[in-house]
Amino acid sequence: MHKYRRTIIWLGLVLIIVLIVLSIYGAFIGAERAEQFFNQPPAVVYWTALATLLIIGIAAFRRLLRVPGLLLIHVGCVLILAGGMWGSRGGHNLQKKLFGIDKIRKGRMVIYEGKNENHVALDDSREQKELPFSLKLKDFRIEYYQPVYLQIQTRQGRQWKVPVEIGKEFSLGDEAGTIKIVKSYENFKIGMEEGKSAPFDDPSPGSNPAIEVQITEPGGQTSIQYVFELFPGHSHGQDKFSLSYHRVISDYISELQIIEGDNVVAEKDIEVNHPLRFGGYHFYQSSYDDKAGQYTVLQVVSDTGLYVVYAGYWLLCIGTIWHMWLRHIFSRLKVKSI
Amino acid sequence: MEIKYTIQGLLVYMTIAAYLLAFITTILRRPKIGHALYLLGFAIAVCAFGYRWYHVRHVPLQNLFEVFLCLGMIYPVSLFCRRVLRVGGYAADMLIGAIVLFPAGFVFNAEPQQLPPALQSWLFTPHVAVYMFSYIFMAKATFQAICQLAGRNPKPGENLLPSEEATYRIVCVGFPLLTLGLILGSYWGKLAWGDYWGWDPKELWSLASWLIFLGYFHYRYMFGKKHPGINSLWAVAGMAAIIITLLWVNLSRLFPGLHSYAS
Repeated sequence: MHKYRRTIIWLGLVLIIVLIVLSIYGAFIGAERAEQFFNQPPAVVYWTALATLLIIGIAAFRRLLRVPGLLLIHVGCVLILAGGMWGSRGGHNLQKKLFGIDKIRKGRMVIYEGKNENHVALDDSREQKELPFSLKLKDFRIEYYQPVYLQIQTRQGRQWKVPVEIGKEFSLGDEAGTIKIVKSYENFKIGMEEGKSAPFDDPSPGSNPAIEVQITEPGGQTSIQYVFELFPGHSHGQDKFSLSYHRVISDYISELQIIEGDNVVAEKDIEVNHPLRFGGYHFYQSSYDDKAGQYTVLQVVSDTGLYVVYAGYWLLCIGTIWHMWLRHIFSRLKVKSI
Repeated sequence: MEIKYTIQGLLVYMTIAAYLLAFITTILRRPKIGHALYLLGFAIAVCAFGYRWYHVRHVPLQNLFEVFLCLGMIYPVSLFCRRVLRVGGYAADMLIGAIVLFPAGFVFNAEPQQLPPALQSWLFTPHVAVYMFSYIFMAKATFQAICQLAGRNPKPGENLLPSEEATYRIVCVGFPLLTLGLILGSYWGKLAWGDYWGWDPKELWSLASWLIFLGYFHYRYMFGKKHPGINSLWAVAGMAAIIITLLWVNLSRLFPGLHSYAS
């Protein structure tokens, strides 16, 4: 091996070892600090050196040009680094200086049901910026896994688990009697009706999920107990059973419209794993109003450099699979056919 | 440590027993009986995995119990390595199978869980499955590397590769899977969390393990078989990083991150 090629590959190995050490260090300091650490000027120097060395390596090693798999792997790595740097905070600043492109890199927007919004609170600073289009939230909803189960426990430690099905009665055995789910509430409130307290489902904004349970003793006496999802320990001293229930969220859905001028140009329900792509941005379901379900919080992310990274991923994948698997399989098949 | 008095637990214990018996009979030079027991163990492991799948109603790769249940189905990999790659360590695979099932049987919680929204993606199964396959291959490569370090090579009549070459060959099979796992995870991260790279501890450990094997290839390209011990040490270090990625990051509270639902 020529001296300069040996030097290049030694440098490559050193840079790999440095990145191994930095990755392990980054794993100990947590994601937020690691992101800052890997975007600092010394790290930028490192990324640039790595990308440059890869390009020099491709030019210097004829083997890399002759063996397609190896070439794809190395070009793929260059693209991933280039796309990553182009889409980073520094990359966005550079694009602003060089080309005047002032794109939001990352931020969050809060949209109330029925309202339009185009303001994005930036993650990098306390500033707000406007999108060139608006988003309207038609509806936000949460879906739960079915069935929901009511957990029943006696003071002696006996336990049952029954599905929350309105109107259905469940036997808990001869000693414990029966239990029946009478009604469910999304926003449980107590009001006064004819001088008596009466529970009702309040349609105004708010969330206090509860179920009404009728307990029938083996002797025939009945009593009503309310079970609150958000207050699982709620019970009276005389209650025979400790009851609780918890709904498991299966999905968060924001029904959105994109509005340019006065026209609706796109519509999509976004959920986790199903973002909305529009105008060079991706919109993700990020959070929601857990008190009253009135608004959704979306994460807004620029797609700058993303498709370069994806191209790099494809090349890296195809290159590794070709170089380490397929060419061996094909050469074996060739030998067999001869 | 707890014993699971369930059908699921029973299937896991039966698999462990079959694998251990297979290992013992193989080292006592009864290879045919050993092979039959290994095959039986694999059949029970498949039943255990299938039973779990039916029970939780999704591909059981969500938590460590399910992942280790999957890792216990090592038989096809060891058969592939022996028949196609001409790599030994058949008896060791039986032991590896029993060892990975041990925490599933006695340590990890088997309480079924429903998939949180982030895990409801078509990428869930390929991302985890590809990683599991790569981990099994890398575990086998590490065993060969340890054999090389201990100076143990197959006997001439066995028609098997020497340990150093066997390590290289298995790493060559496992590395594309490791790469695919990393890339699928990154693509999924973009869809679910908005970033294809979140600098999460688990992501960084998986990057470190990928880079160690990358270093192994570069070192071996530079020196060939001149320093076989150092080649083997790269492979062992890679496996150590994989173990940390898989276990420590999920179990330890030192590294809270986006992958914490896998604990």
